[in-house]
Amino acid sequence: MKLLPTICPACNSQVKVKSLLCEDCNTQIEGLYQLPPLARLSTEDQLFLLDFIKASGSLKEMARLLRLSYPTVRNRLNEIIERVKLAENANQNHGKENL
Amino acid sequence: MTQITTDIKTAPSNHLTQWLFNPFRFMAGYKALLLGLPIILITASIAYLGNTHFDGVLDVHIGLQAPLWLFFAEGLINWICMAISLFFPALIVSRSSFRAVDVLGTQALARWPHIVTALVMLPDANRRMGEYFMSKLNPTAPAVAVNYTDVSIFVFAAIFALLMIVWMVALMYKAYAVSCNIKGAKAVITFIVGLIIAEVLSKLAIWLLITQSAVMHQPQ
Repeated sequence: MKLLPTICPACNSQVKVKSLLCEDCNTQIEGLYQLPPLARLSTEDQLFLLDFIKASGSLKEMARLLRLSYPTVRNRLNEIIERVKLAENANQNHGKENL
Repeated sequence: MTQITTDIKTAPSNHLTQWLFNPFRFMAGYKALLLGLPIILITASIAYLGNTHFDGVLDVHIGLQAPLWLFFAEGLINWICMAISLFFPALIVSRSSFRAVDVLGTQALARWPHIVTALVMLPDANRRMGEYFMSKLNPTAPAVAVNYTDVSIFVFAAIFALLMIVWMVALMYKAYAVSCNIKGAKAVITFIVGLIIAEVLSKLAIWLLITQSAVMHQPQ
C-alpha cells in the first residue's frame, strides 16, 4: 500500500480528499474532505506519535527506546503538538468559511 | 516489549561530532548530573595540583595556593550560578514545561572542557609565568626569571584554555536550548543575559568565600 500523500507535489499545499472507495462493493464516494489533523502530519511525525502511544504515552520510555535524552524527546513532541494545533486551527477556519 | 517504528532521522546518531558538540541530545537529567558532578570534582582536583582557579563561570587564573575545598567550592559555585541564572529566564520565555534536573545536569556536563583546561595548566611553567606577571605588577614582589620554554608553554596553555572556554560556552548554550526548549533569538539573548548574571554572581560568591575564609596565602 502506498503512503498517503498529504502535501501537493506540485505546489506544496495541503491536499484534500476528493474520493473514497469501498474495496468490497466498489462504492465510490465523491466529495471534498479535509484530512484530519493527525493525518496531515508528516510520516515521520505520525510514526513518532504511533511510538508514543505504544509506549503508553511515557516520554521516559520513548527516550529509553530511541536512545535520546528526555528533553530531546519532549521537545520533539512539543513541536508536533504545535503542528497539530495549527492543523486544527486550519480545520476550524475552513469550517467557518464553509458556513 | 514496545517496538520502535519512528523514522531513522529521530534515532541517535553515533557521530562523534554529536557527542562533542551536543551530547545533551542523548544525555540529560540525572544521567548528566551523575556524570557532570564527578567531572566538576575531578576538574577541581586537577586544578588544585596546578593552582588553577576557575574563579568565575568563564574565568581561569593561576597562582593562588589554597586548600582543596576552595577548588571544589569554585567548581560547584560556577555550576550552580550558571544553572540558576538560566533557569529563571527560561521560566519566563520557554513555551513548554521543563525539569530543573535537566538544567542542572546538562549544565554540569557542559563544564567538561575545563578538565582539559586544568590539565594544560598543570606544567610548572604556567605558575612561573603567573609569578612573573605578578612581579611586574607589584614592585615589592620578588623578581622571577622565566625562559623561552616557560613562555612557549604558557602561550600554548593560554590559547588552549581560551578554546576550551569557547567550547564550554557553546556546550552551555546547547544544554540550555535543549533542556529548556528555547530556540532562535530568544534563546541567544536570554543565554547571554544569564551568562553575564552568572559571571557576576559567581565572581561575587567566590570573592566572598575567599575573603571570609581568609584562605589567601599569596596574591593571585
